[in-house]
Amino acid sequence: METAEISETEPIYRDTSLCYQCAKCSSGCPIAEEMDMYPHQVIHLVSLGLEERVMDTHTIWICANCYACSVKCPNDINITGIMNNLKEKAIERGISPKTPEVYKFHKVFANDVLRRGRAHELRIMGEYNLRNKKPFQNAMLAPKMFFKNKLKILPPKSVKGFRKWVTRLIGRKND
Amino acid sequence: MQDKNIALYPGCSLETSSSHYLKSLERVFEILEIDYSIMNDWSCCGATSVKSLDMNLNLALNLRNLSVAEQQGIDELIVPCASCYHRLASTEYELLKDKERLEKLSKETGYKYEGKVKVRNILDFFVNVVGIDRISEKVTHPLSEMVVACYYGCLNTRVPKEQTFDTMEYPMSMDNLVKALGAETIDWSYKTECCGASLFLTMGSIWEKLVGKILKDASLREADCVTVSCPMCQTNLDTKQKQVREEYSIEESMPVPFISQLMGLAFGCKPDEVGLDMNFEAMQPMK
Repeated sequence: METAEISETEPIYRDTSLCYQCAKCSSGCPIAEEMDMYPHQVIHLVSLGLEERVMDTHTIWICANCYACSVKCPNDINITGIMNNLKEKAIERGISPKTPEVYKFHKVFANDVLRRGRAHELRIMGEYNLRNKKPFQNAMLAPKMFFKNKLKILPPKSVKGFRKWVTRLIGRKND
Repeated sequence: MQDKNIALYPGCSLETSSSHYLKSLERVFEILEIDYSIMNDWSCCGATSVKSLDMNLNLALNLRNLSVAEQQGIDELIVPCASCYHRLASTEYELLKDKERLEKLSKETGYKYEGKVKVRNILDFFVNVVGIDRISEKVTHPLSEMVVACYYGCLNTRVPKEQTFDTMEYPMSMDNLVKALGAETIDWSYKTECCGASLFLTMGSIWEKLVGKILKDASLREADCVTVSCPMCQTNLDTKQKQVREEYSIEESMPVPFISQLMGLAFGCKPDEVGLDMNFEAMQPMK
């Protein structure tokens, strides 16, 4: 059965059976009202081994990763950690993200960091807009920040040996 | 304190969008006579994005940083950004409690870590290492008559319980620091509510609500400014504030200075010396 299998391999899931549905996580979540499944419902389904139903929600993608749910949980279930793990698994299983813009942003950000070990904010903003096919979204933001000397056109210096290290680590080449 | 090797982990944002934070920290550290260096060879912590896609890679990135800091003989790694701090402190906790995982990841990454580095949040450093007394001694221009809303944001205190330096639900470290600068602080409801920085570019409508509620509460309680210690919070609450204020009927501008900028002002620095010219919402001139 799926639940048992998860419990052994993923320590993060072991605790979900401790959930007694007090819903403190959902009441403490700053964006619960925007979600299509509340955090306590996410944990309930996961504890029943029905995690695939959760993978197809906006909830896991719009979660702001603020950990309010995790610190409010009386049984120390790392709810935010589970949300992140579910995103990772959804992608692995080919379940397309229900909130694609968030997925695209994470992807652009992560790829940028892997290039040289440090983020180039201007490129992240530009590339995200292109990939999201909304080139003029927040169009005034970059000039505004640039004018205040908050964005640099040139990328940061590469961290020595980083690219080689990370490429070997993830076993693939990033564009 | 100064027998320890203290280094600052700047993180990506302090080099670009929040270079005014770094500038103010450098000035304040100088005034407080702190002997420190900027960590060499650091890499990005991966922030929310990497851990949303690949937790193992996120742990690897932070293990690399911890290991490099340890090899450089750093005792105290001061982390100003709440997101970097959260990643570094959480990774350290996760890996040190699970030796098997640490060993496996060390093999995969080639980076070993023995746990000799103390990852320290900037607020923890100011309050518990430098100390309120030493900070008060340097105050030459008390911020009297200034009412400050101390905004901690989500990630400063929400690290694993064993790692935290303040209470998670209602932290006071920054309040105590601000009081030592001569200002008044307020009790308010949004001290640790998330500002939605990770949704800044992606989910505009949700982002606006989160920022709006924080600014509205601070404004209703008549704060003169909202001070922060996280570069994500600063960018997020400051950059597009005008748009949010219109939506939430907040009449007056709510400046969002970094805690180190307020410290600088109280230590007698000129606003430009602590990078206040880079903030969008301008501080009112000091009396």
